[in-house]
Amino acid sequence: MRHLRAALLRITGFFTGNRAESDLLDELQSHVDMETAENIRRGMRPDEARRQAMLASGGLTQAAEAVRAQRGLPWIESMAADIRYGLRALRHSPAFTTVVVLTLALGIGANTAIFSVVRAVLLKPLPHKDGDRLVYLRQSRDGPDGANIAFSVPEVRDFRTGAPSLGGIAEYSPYSFTLQSDNDAVRIDAGLVTGNYFEVMGLAPVLGRLTLASDDGAGVPPVMVLTYDYWKRRFGGDSGIVGRQLRLSGSSVTVIGVLQPAPFFPDRIDVLLNMVISPHHVSAQMVEGRTHRMTEMVARLGPGASLQQARNEVATVYQRLQSEYKDAYDPGSHPRVAVISFKEALGERARLTLGLLMAAAAFVMIISAANVVNLTLMRGVRRAQELVVRAALGAGGRRLRRLLLVENLMLSFMGAILGGLIAVGSVRLLIPLASRYSPRANEIHLDVAVLGFTFALSIVIALLLSYAASLPREGSYASWISAGLGRVSGSLKKQRVQRGLVVAQVAVSVVLLAGAGLLTRTMIRLSEVDTGLRTEEVLTLEVSLLELRTLFDPQAQVAAKQGYDRMLREIKALPGVIEVGLGSTVPLKSSSIQLPVKAEGKALDVGEAIPRAEFRTANPDYYRAAGIPLIKGREFSSTDQEGSGRVVIVNQVLVDQFFPHEDPLGKRIAWTGDILRFTPFSGDWRTIVGVVGNTQDGGLDAEPRPVMFMPFTQELAFSGGLVIRADSNVAGLTDAVTRIVRSIAPTAPIENVLTVAQIKDQSVSPRRLNAALVSSFGLLAVLIAAVGIAGVLAFSVSARTNEIGIRMSLGADGGRVQRMILMEGGVLLALGLVLGVAGAFFAARVIQGLLFGIAPHDPITLIGVALLMAAIGIVACWIPALRAARIDPAITMRA
Amino acid sequence: MAEKLDVKQGTLALMILKTLEVLGPLHGYGVARRIEETSKNRLTLNYGTLYPALLKLEQEGLVTAEWGQSENNRRAKFYALTAAGRKQLAREAREWHQTADLIAAFLAPRRGAP
Repeated sequence: MRHLRAALLRITGFFTGNRAESDLLDELQSHVDMETAENIRRGMRPDEARRQAMLASGGLTQAAEAVRAQRGLPWIESMAADIRYGLRALRHSPAFTTVVVLTLALGIGANTAIFSVVRAVLLKPLPHKDGDRLVYLRQSRDGPDGANIAFSVPEVRDFRTGAPSLGGIAEYSPYSFTLQSDNDAVRIDAGLVTGNYFEVMGLAPVLGRLTLASDDGAGVPPVMVLTYDYWKRRFGGDSGIVGRQLRLSGSSVTVIGVLQPAPFFPDRIDVLLNMVISPHHVSAQMVEGRTHRMTEMVARLGPGASLQQARNEVATVYQRLQSEYKDAYDPGSHPRVAVISFKEALGERARLTLGLLMAAAAFVMIISAANVVNLTLMRGVRRAQELVVRAALGAGGRRLRRLLLVENLMLSFMGAILGGLIAVGSVRLLIPLASRYSPRANEIHLDVAVLGFTFALSIVIALLLSYAASLPREGSYASWISAGLGRVSGSLKKQRVQRGLVVAQVAVSVVLLAGAGLLTRTMIRLSEVDTGLRTEEVLTLEVSLLELRTLFDPQAQVAAKQGYDRMLREIKALPGVIEVGLGSTVPLKSSSIQLPVKAEGKALDVGEAIPRAEFRTANPDYYRAAGIPLIKGREFSSTDQEGSGRVVIVNQVLVDQFFPHEDPLGKRIAWTGDILRFTPFSGDWRTIVGVVGNTQDGGLDAEPRPVMFMPFTQELAFSGGLVIRADSNVAGLTDAVTRIVRSIAPTAPIENVLTVAQIKDQSVSPRRLNAALVSSFGLLAVLIAAVGIAGVLAFSVSARTNEIGIRMSLGADGGRVQRMILMEGGVLLALGLVLGVAGAFFAARVIQGLLFGIAPHDPITLIGVALLMAAIGIVACWIPALRAARIDPAITMRA
Repeated sequence: MAEKLDVKQGTLALMILKTLEVLGPLHGYGVARRIEETSKNRLTLNYGTLYPALLKLEQEGLVTAEWGQSENNRRAKFYALTAAGRKQLAREAREWHQTADLIAAFLAPRRGAP
């Protein structure tokens, strides 16, 4: 009660300070008067009496201050005073304030932006209920297409019974449909899911319902659930969507619900359907075929089960399967199953790139913080006089420290606010980058956690700045003042910190620059990669004239082939078009079909991986249109028809693999393996009639894969890729070509309308973005470091003005002084360079995975980077050195 | 001259209250003089210690303050004990005696084996 009353009075005292203030001064004055009177009564002279009274008081100002502290809320009051004072001080040194705020803003902005991406993509808990219990299973094997080969239904069944740690297994098969409306047809990516899928994944609907066990099996109507993003994008978040019928590849499907926002892996999905839409998926072939791997698995760990337990159980089951079903596993290609947390799987492609960017941003932060510390130290020295006077007037060490803290907090908050604005802008730039690597890119926001990160960062910086500065110690004021403040300033200890910081700045800049250099050269190397096409004036597009339902319908096949013929004729008639080719897939894009191959008379060695090749079809004009060189033999001709002898054209990689020292022409090869049962392709022997050059179908940085081309007319026309070569400006043909295709196939999706230059760019651009980001961080770092060197040297020069004056009056000329200062900077620079190159050596090894066509410790890059840094550093040293050389000894000595 | 002592935190309030109880309403100067005299000048009070303490007692409602005329017709602020102040004084004095006894017992040389 007593304390409450006191607290209330203190709060009122805080607001009603003024009247009490005059009251207080009156009271103290009356005390002095009474004591003076008493002293006089004791016989002192009046002036002596007053002096003694004042001495006894211990200082009226201090007393008043102590009472004020008791009266109101001193902490807030003095804080307000500190803020007012700090603002005034910062206003008085606008250059310092601007440089510090800008430097901090760049560092904080870069870090906030990158952190917001890292948080959304790697750190944030999954939106799934108990998302950390979800695990992703991946079956893979060696070879170009082996990174993820999915599972077959029997395999899923075996894991379900053999691995009890997996409490539930959600299965889905990636699938694609054409969504048809009256005037449009677009491809959509779908997942065919089992009824337990959503329950296992822990996902809930935002509208309607999700699929259930009752939606499984054959005799049920097809239903679909829209993903949240697709619902927003395609239907504008229409709340009346549930119950609508949509046409998917010729079937009518009811929308039963909209799913909560959630990331999908490994594919992005627009809609999810029950299996019945694809008769194949509910057929015995699919359900019983052990090598028919079309299913992705996400499992939920059972209660109490650990990831390690699940791994052990899965490994045991997998080992048993391999020994039990020898035909289904090729030991030569080392088949394996990995069990990883689903969250980790979602972030795995982004991890390296984001790690790189986060490190680069952190480096920029280190450099800018170092710079700001240096600037503050130098300003602190110039302010020493002011601080000493304040201390002498009664401000204690803690009070001074708090003053500095308030000032630095203001600086760093201003930096944080500006940095936040920078982050808002750069996050928008980063989202497209992130969405290439992560399905969670749409979760990137500058939310409370990110802003908290920024806030914490700025507080750490302010603390660092406040405690880096040394304050005059109590009891040393007199020596400070009598020594003449200017002389104490160049204290060696402080300079050692500053010099250390400069060395660190240079070193970190070199590391960043080296990273930037390596990534830039990677990008250049990549864009120089030969695509395998002899021309760039090529437009490609994909259009499928067959729907799933009609794929095996002979009449539809004939109609589709006639449709493609018409397209070829009409496009060829367009002005400027030189050649039009047709194949199952366009060049520079990998075929989704990869099958095992065998060559006649060639047996595999024991333990050798079964070779595989891409399945492609092509018409006679395909190679000429695409500019793929014919190395041997002939192209397809119009006589290679359905029913005539089976012929095949292969690429050079396949020849090198099967017939390294023989003439491949006339040799026979065939598709093989159990998997053929599930495909419409025959395992008949086919005679090689031609060899074509390799093309970079898996991307510019991937090894070309073996390819077998079949004549377009001899296989199902399951998809169609048009290849159009023009004499110039092929991009200008896009509209005319699209119009022709649309008029012939009004309900077919037209996809990937791209020129070869654009396809190439798709492969290069993520690298370009990486390189550009790291390069801009690197340049920023160098710039800040240069300012740092110049600043420290300039400070050193001004602190040594006297000394330089004496040297010059003793006969040193300008040149010698200049060399002296240059030397001083040069030592720091050289030290930083050595440390930086060493650091770059290690850092480069970490980012090796992001490099292409260049060694991580590429000497040209390292030397170039070191030279660049040295050049910039020397320029930065030169300016203060010149100033030192111009010092007039007469003026400095007199001062 | 005896060793000068700093006023221990918390004891000053007690001294002030006791002074006001003994002498009745009194100004800050008077309080300071009385405390110094009672301590035989072993304690010195500077204003920065005294006045915040007085203000704190006032805020806690243990004393009241009013401007008045001093014995030699000077304007001065007079502090007087309130009823709550009296009660508080009694309680603190009791506690102080107990503490003092306790400390004395602790510091006294031990008699006999434990």
